[in-house]
Amino acid sequence: MRKRILLILALAVSFTSLKAQNVIDLIIAEALAVPDSTGIVDDFGRRGGWIEIFNTSQGTVNFAGCFLTDDRNNLKKSIIPKGDLRTKLGPRQTTLIYASGNGADGTLYADFEIRPGSTVYLVSNDGRTIIDSLVVPASLPAGMSMSKRAFDLRQSEFEPLPDPTVPSPGIYNGDLNAATKAEAMAEKDPHGGILSLVAVTVVFSALAILWFLFWLFFDRPAKKAAQAKEKPKNSAAKAQVKAGEVSDEIAAVIALAMDMEQGGDVYAAIAMAMDLYFSDTVHDTESFILTMRPKDGSAWNDKKQIFRKLPR
Amino acid sequence: MEHIFQSLSQFWEYTGFANCSWQNIVMIGIGIVFITLAIVKEWEPMLLVPIGFGMIIGNIPMFPGLNIGIYEDGSVLNILYQGVRQGWYPPLIFLGIGAMTDFSALISQPRLILIGAAAQMGIFGAYLLALLFGFAPNEAGAIGIIGGADGPTAIFLSSKLAPDLMGAIAVSAYSYMALVPVIQRPIMLLLTTKKERLIKMPTPRAVSQREKIIFPIIGFLTTAFIVPSGLPLLGMLFFGNLLKESGVTRRLANTASGPMIDVVTTLIGLTVGASTQADKFLSAKSILIFGLGLLSFVIATTCGVLFVKIMNLFIKNPAKKINPLIGNAGVSAVPDSARVSEVVGREFDTKNHLLMHAMGPNVAGVIGSAVAAGILLAFLG
Repeated sequence: MRKRILLILALAVSFTSLKAQNVIDLIIAEALAVPDSTGIVDDFGRRGGWIEIFNTSQGTVNFAGCFLTDDRNNLKKSIIPKGDLRTKLGPRQTTLIYASGNGADGTLYADFEIRPGSTVYLVSNDGRTIIDSLVVPASLPAGMSMSKRAFDLRQSEFEPLPDPTVPSPGIYNGDLNAATKAEAMAEKDPHGGILSLVAVTVVFSALAILWFLFWLFFDRPAKKAAQAKEKPKNSAAKAQVKAGEVSDEIAAVIALAMDMEQGGDVYAAIAMAMDLYFSDTVHDTESFILTMRPKDGSAWNDKKQIFRKLPR
Repeated sequence: MEHIFQSLSQFWEYTGFANCSWQNIVMIGIGIVFITLAIVKEWEPMLLVPIGFGMIIGNIPMFPGLNIGIYEDGSVLNILYQGVRQGWYPPLIFLGIGAMTDFSALISQPRLILIGAAAQMGIFGAYLLALLFGFAPNEAGAIGIIGGADGPTAIFLSSKLAPDLMGAIAVSAYSYMALVPVIQRPIMLLLTTKKERLIKMPTPRAVSQREKIIFPIIGFLTTAFIVPSGLPLLGMLFFGNLLKESGVTRRLANTASGPMIDVVTTLIGLTVGASTQADKFLSAKSILIFGLGLLSFVIATTCGVLFVKIMNLFIKNPAKKINPLIGNAGVSAVPDSARVSEVVGREFDTKNHLLMHAMGPNVAGVIGSAVAAGILLAFLG
């Protein structure tokens, strides 16, 4: 039992650490195994394979400490070193890791070369959790890459393309010129009728649900309870209300108005006290009643502890 | 001697007189009118004084490049303006509004919630009209929200949908909120009969503290699940209300509804005013926005009042009829529009107090306009 709890805790901590870092928002967006003569060169002027990492989130993600590997049995094959600002990837940004086979070349270099027929994995900083992977088929021709592209409207879910593509290192694999929501709406609903209808329906639905919930669970039971418990008021109070001079409602209105005008609880208390005095009734459950209770809080917020003598 | 004249000449180029244009003078004049209205007529002084003075600040002609203007990166005004531009201030104001709002009137008469929904028709009426006048959908959405009669919501949405129009939208929204008594009264009288104006509504039932505590939680869950894009406004509104009603966080509620909202209101008013630099503000678009804003208020008020009349058709018990004079209060603008209901109601029966009843649709309007803003943001953002 204890072990299970520890295991659950460990998993929870592991998951939390992943979430905290947001590294789960990273994907391997593209990978090239064998370059052709037009391929990009690294900082040392060499042409080789590369892996493109993309941050799908709207926040900055630091992937220092994460791992890259092409071996499922060795997830810690190539570590991304810590202490380099280039490991902080801005929202919706890409970075390239050169698969030079020598991680000592720099922060953005992997300790392996990509072989056609392998799979590239991006592993979390815990060294166990695979965040994303991309298959590099054996038939991948030189100078072509495998990539993922966003297909959903929000461009947040990326799917691997089945066929090799022309490499686009460091460039977002999506339609940057895609129509904005407003442009799409202008095309679909030029006169605004559909949006207005939908929006009005949603506003009404949201507030109608709220009304229904409160009517069902509070208003109706409260009214039923009030009907059941209703007792005739004493004659003095009745006479006052009948005269139309003072009623609960008027007093409450005065209290509310004063409270809004002056922003002071004092006025509300005075109005309420007047109502109680004139109507000769005490409402324990009245909405606007003010109940004075002795403070029994802790000492730290006690006024006596806060006050100090004025300097002389 | 020549050097002195050169220096004086150079100094002259730095002065406001050398860089002044007639547009600056017009905007400064408008700012002074705002301040005058606020002080003499007491129309929304908390807003119009900062906005008016902000207009004067923003339209002092100056030599560009000194890094002091509101649109110059890194200047003090620019940093303060980021609260508007990025939409930080409106949710903070909503926190304060939540902490000072008593939802009792709404909880005791849940049916009044629907009036708050009906009055949001002003938003979509203005949206349709703005499209008709050739505005892009995102701009039309930002203009439409003026009809929600909620300044922070208007600023929040326009900062997301049409930042370039934000100055005109914010000034328009706040101006019409200040003019609520002038705009709404004739519409209310036009759409109601004398008999309807004399309807006395039943005394609302007492609301327990438990209901008041549960309301912000259920209210938030219901609205936020339906319109998650309204999260910043709805979350802060209901959170502020929970601080108030929980009874154990009085100090936090007092801070949110007092010093904090005062600070943010000052900053939002001043920076919105200062953002109305003549070269960016004085345009045909701005005038059109003012016109559409007025229409949105008219539509919202009309829909609120008419909706109550329609509701009354379905209420058989005469004692439970709703006075249509509270229909106008659905347009947010807390508590001014509710106050208009009270004042107009008492014109016809001095003992007919509608304020407490009108507060129901009034606070429902705040929720409704935040929901509407969320929908527009989801579709057009």
